[in-house]
Amino acid sequence: MRIVVLSSSVYSETACAIVSHLCALDYPPLAVLSLRTFDPATILRKVAQWGLRDAVRYAQTRLGPRTPASLHNVYLAPFLSHRGHPVRSLREIAEVPITFCKNQNSEKSLAFLKNCAPDLIVFAGGNILRQPLLDIPRLGVINLHLGLLPDVRGMSAPEWSLLNSVPLGITIHYMDRGIDTGPILLRRELPDPALSSSLENLRNRLIAFGVEQLGPVILGLDRGTISPAPQAVLDRDLQHFVIHQRLRDLAALRLQQLRSSPAPVRVRA
Amino acid sequence: MDSRLNKIMREAGGLITGPRRIFPLVGKVAHDRATCISSSRNLYSYATTRRPSAESLSALVNWILRAQRSNGGIAAYYSLFSGYSESYPEVTGYIVPTLYDFALLAHSDSARGAAERATNWLLSLQLSSGAFPAGLHGRSAAPSVFNTGQILQGLVRSWTETNRPEICDAAFAAADWLLSVQSVDGSWPTAYQDAPHTYYSMVAWSLAQLSECTGNQRYGLAAERNLDWVLKHIQPGGWIDGINLRGHPSYLHFVAYIIQGVLECALLRHRKDAVQAISAPAWILLRKFETAKHLPGAFDHSFASGRRFTCLTGNAQMSCVWLRLFDGSRSQDLRIEGSCDLRYLNAALKMNESLKPLLPTRGSDGVVGGVAGSYPIWAPYQPFRYISWGCKFFADALMLEQRLLTSLEASACAS
Repeated sequence: MRIVVLSSSVYSETACAIVSHLCALDYPPLAVLSLRTFDPATILRKVAQWGLRDAVRYAQTRLGPRTPASLHNVYLAPFLSHRGHPVRSLREIAEVPITFCKNQNSEKSLAFLKNCAPDLIVFAGGNILRQPLLDIPRLGVINLHLGLLPDVRGMSAPEWSLLNSVPLGITIHYMDRGIDTGPILLRRELPDPALSSSLENLRNRLIAFGVEQLGPVILGLDRGTISPAPQAVLDRDLQHFVIHQRLRDLAALRLQQLRSSPAPVRVRA
Repeated sequence: MDSRLNKIMREAGGLITGPRRIFPLVGKVAHDRATCISSSRNLYSYATTRRPSAESLSALVNWILRAQRSNGGIAAYYSLFSGYSESYPEVTGYIVPTLYDFALLAHSDSARGAAERATNWLLSLQLSSGAFPAGLHGRSAAPSVFNTGQILQGLVRSWTETNRPEICDAAFAAADWLLSVQSVDGSWPTAYQDAPHTYYSMVAWSLAQLSECTGNQRYGLAAERNLDWVLKHIQPGGWIDGINLRGHPSYLHFVAYIIQGVLECALLRHRKDAVQAISAPAWILLRKFETAKHLPGAFDHSFASGRRFTCLTGNAQMSCVWLRLFDGSRSQDLRIEGSCDLRYLNAALKMNESLKPLLPTRGSDGVVGGVAGSYPIWAPYQPFRYISWGCKFFADALMLEQRLLTSLEASACAS
């Protein structure tokens, strides 16, 4: 199967883990289309958006590879190796060529992707994808969502799941024009969510769990044993938005309660 | 046209009598120009607290207290050209509940005292018919439906706080006059610009409040007649017709008035159908805010036709609406699908965060802690002015935010 991976940076841990994992499964991507690692305009925009401190942290994740000790997501460590060597940058996976772009929806990017003629695109970060790109692969573009669809669409999915007492889990689905409204390929609850020590820890565990679950999906698609299921509830607006810090704190409290008493407790609205 | 020219002449005259105002005026224009260019809104801009809500609330109420004139009335605005306006009966009326709320929350005697002085001034203005006059103090003696309705809010609250019989009498007289000029269909046809307006749902809310306090269903039924009339103006796409203001676009302030009036009236009257109907435009505006990070300041007959400036008062009102949709529909009998939804609270929290940095922390009395009509300051809604009703609605939103978060956090801890 011809697979292309979209990434936000060559140093993206998630993208590195996905590409390494695909190689390990014997489905090496034929290319990675990554956003430029250093884009001054993006960095400046982040300074304006987040302030200097957070922008510097962002720049650090974009501009340089991480050492094993400085891994942001330690749960990805099992996936971050290739032929026995640790992978901290997509450049370290020699057989997968990387093409850089400023925008994954640009004419140039679309021409590149059409030339690749992929069966499948795996979205591991980057721009909001437009329809012309979504139309390119034979099967479609798949995305790893950190919540169970259709209950929690959109941003801050783990936090909203906690607040709305929706089980924690991941969904791998085809992308379409809506926000997380595409047909579902796989939906799995996270085993032992109560083991998560913090929201960040929970998010990292969900990402690693999702990367692991990509394996059965790719195999299933290749062998034709998996078929996409359209989402049941398309009429209701279930999109969630970036969560405010105060509600995030409540979600953290909920997680803490989950750790001490795994029985579902609803944050009474 | 003449009145617009008069307004411009009066504002310009303010600069001649107070030439020192030129410096803050130029400073504010330069500041807004710079922030419009440099700030880029994004998904995370408003998701964290950069200025404590209590500090902003205190600044807002202090602005209102400084805007109270010696007669007890509260100025409509502070103009960067001409300074404070005369007292404004309508706004003085509906600021009274805000002052009492703050007095309770912060144990503030000055806020309570200001509310009492404001009420006394309002009592002195009531016409023999029971109505209250239109416009700024001293400009007109003509009775005004909208002003009477808005002042009724203050009277009802003052009465419940003080039990003074003369306030009760004044409230009944005002309400009786409102009923006497209400049309059979529930609208007020002889209103401003000789047309009925859907944003008079705010008047219906006042009547519903009086009914709730007194148990007199006559006022509650009149409120519901207006509610039903307004609901007929909600279009399938969520837009609400019937603002009917000639010479203006439909500012967000008026759209939010409609939604707020209908919602509050519906909650008081236990009208689940009305809560459901009005949650449609409220949700459309929430989505707009969450996806674009700002709400248009005005519309031309549809939500798709937003204008690119910010009506800060309208934003604060929408924050109140989202908070109340979250809060009010928690009662089982009013719960509708999706209404008891933390997404409303989330949007309101972010809206409040977006407004807090726009409260000036330096400047003259009329500027510090004030809510400008528009952002940027020269945009069309109340240009170059800090307006008292903007402070009122934002203070309401912050107090509501505090109450809901405290209750939510307590319930989360308890479970």
